Amino acid sequence: MTAPTARNVPALLQGLRTEGFSGTVRVSGLPGGSIHLRNGLVGAIETPGAPTATSALLTAGRIGDEDWLAACAAEPDADRLGGHLVAEGLIGAAELEVVCTAAVFDAAFAMALSPPGSWELSDREPVLLAEPGVEPRRLTEEASRRMALLSRLWGPPGELTRVRPARVAEAAPRGSDGWLARRHRDVLDSVNGRRTPRDIAFALGRGLYAVMLDLIRLEALRLVQWETRTTADGRPSTAPRVPQAEPTTAVRTTAVRPPEAAPLPKRRPGGASPAQDVGQKKKGG
Amino acid sequence: MGEKGTALQASLDRLLDSPGVNGVALIDAVTGLTYCTAGDIAEAGDGPEVSEFAALIAERLGAAGADGELESVVTTSTKRHQVLFSVVRPGGDPLILAAGLDRDRANMALALRSLGDRAAEVLA
Repeated sequence: MTAPTARNVPALLQGLRTEGFSGTVRVSGLPGGSIHLRNGLVGAIETPGAPTATSALLTAGRIGDEDWLAACAAEPDADRLGGHLVAEGLIGAAELEVVCTAAVFDAAFAMALSPPGSWELSDREPVLLAEPGVEPRRLTEEASRRMALLSRLWGPPGELTRVRPARVAEAAPRGSDGWLARRHRDVLDSVNGRRTPRDIAFALGRGLYAVMLDLIRLEALRLVQWETRTTADGRPSTAPRVPQAEPTTAVRTTAVRPPEAAPLPKRRPGGASPAQDVGQKKKGG
Repeated sequence: MGEKGTALQASLDRLLDSPGVNGVALIDAVTGLTYCTAGDIAEAGDGPEVSEFAALIAERLGAAGADGELESVVTTSTKRHQVLFSVVRPGGDPLILAAGLDRDRANMALALRSLGDRAAEVLA
């Protein structure tokens, strides 16, 4: 097998396509993931960076949990699970193809957001597959297109995955955005200043790339923002805690300053806790 | 995708039976990803461009006060029609069925009705 000597993951997949490889490519890194190939075509990708087809089907409620569990029990080989779902009338074959294919492209995009680490090949692992699978070259081209579009619309896509969007406080109140597409309203209802685009994608069972595009659109409409805010919306701050000399009623607009260097408090035999040493004078006795 | 033999491919191939339909494509309305094509791909339209175009129209219509989601868009040139149908599915992002029609061979009213009726069956 010559593929493992490839210079990068796209070249590796292309080599495996030529060989008609069926098995799994485990890619380390952040987020990393497992690429499942059948006859050299990419049938599924599992990565912490994007929801899988299973996640999309279940989270969006396309297939109920009980139906899903029953199908998995009836067809333990996940490679053949798709056929079983269709045979049971839980989803159409064409729709399942769309869901699985979309998940493959989205996961490839998510993995392309950061440089991969090493990789290793392993045996076939059963997984819900896009039939017949996606040509590796097309995956690479689409991921590149997505990166280029996000770069043009917003900036570095890798940074966009780390923002934590929030609703614009002075934007129109909830309920007055009925002209927005439903998916935009869903995203708008999901942002809370703590979730990243990836979190939102998993919460909604949608693709990471689709959520990122919608967030860019919502930002352009001035409905969401992602500046770092520490106190404006009253949410708990994750900034380093520093002792404040005295509370003030003035609005704090400057960034929190890092604590100044000081020796650590020392425990004294028979004394009080270090906190008391620092904050209070010990009363006599 | 264009691979032969899949359920999706069979669905799109059937749409080519409509008079004057030269090419069709099923496109993700959000990402612009083309899932499948049949016939003349150039006639159906480029996925990212189609999705961007439909999104722009939907947004402008919404901002102008139109209620509801975009259902279809028809663009007519001297020689052809391009028709975009929104394909709503029970779960997941919407899809667009894009079709390129030969203006000399297609009866627009009939083609619209036929494609509109069959658009919902594409995902069956």
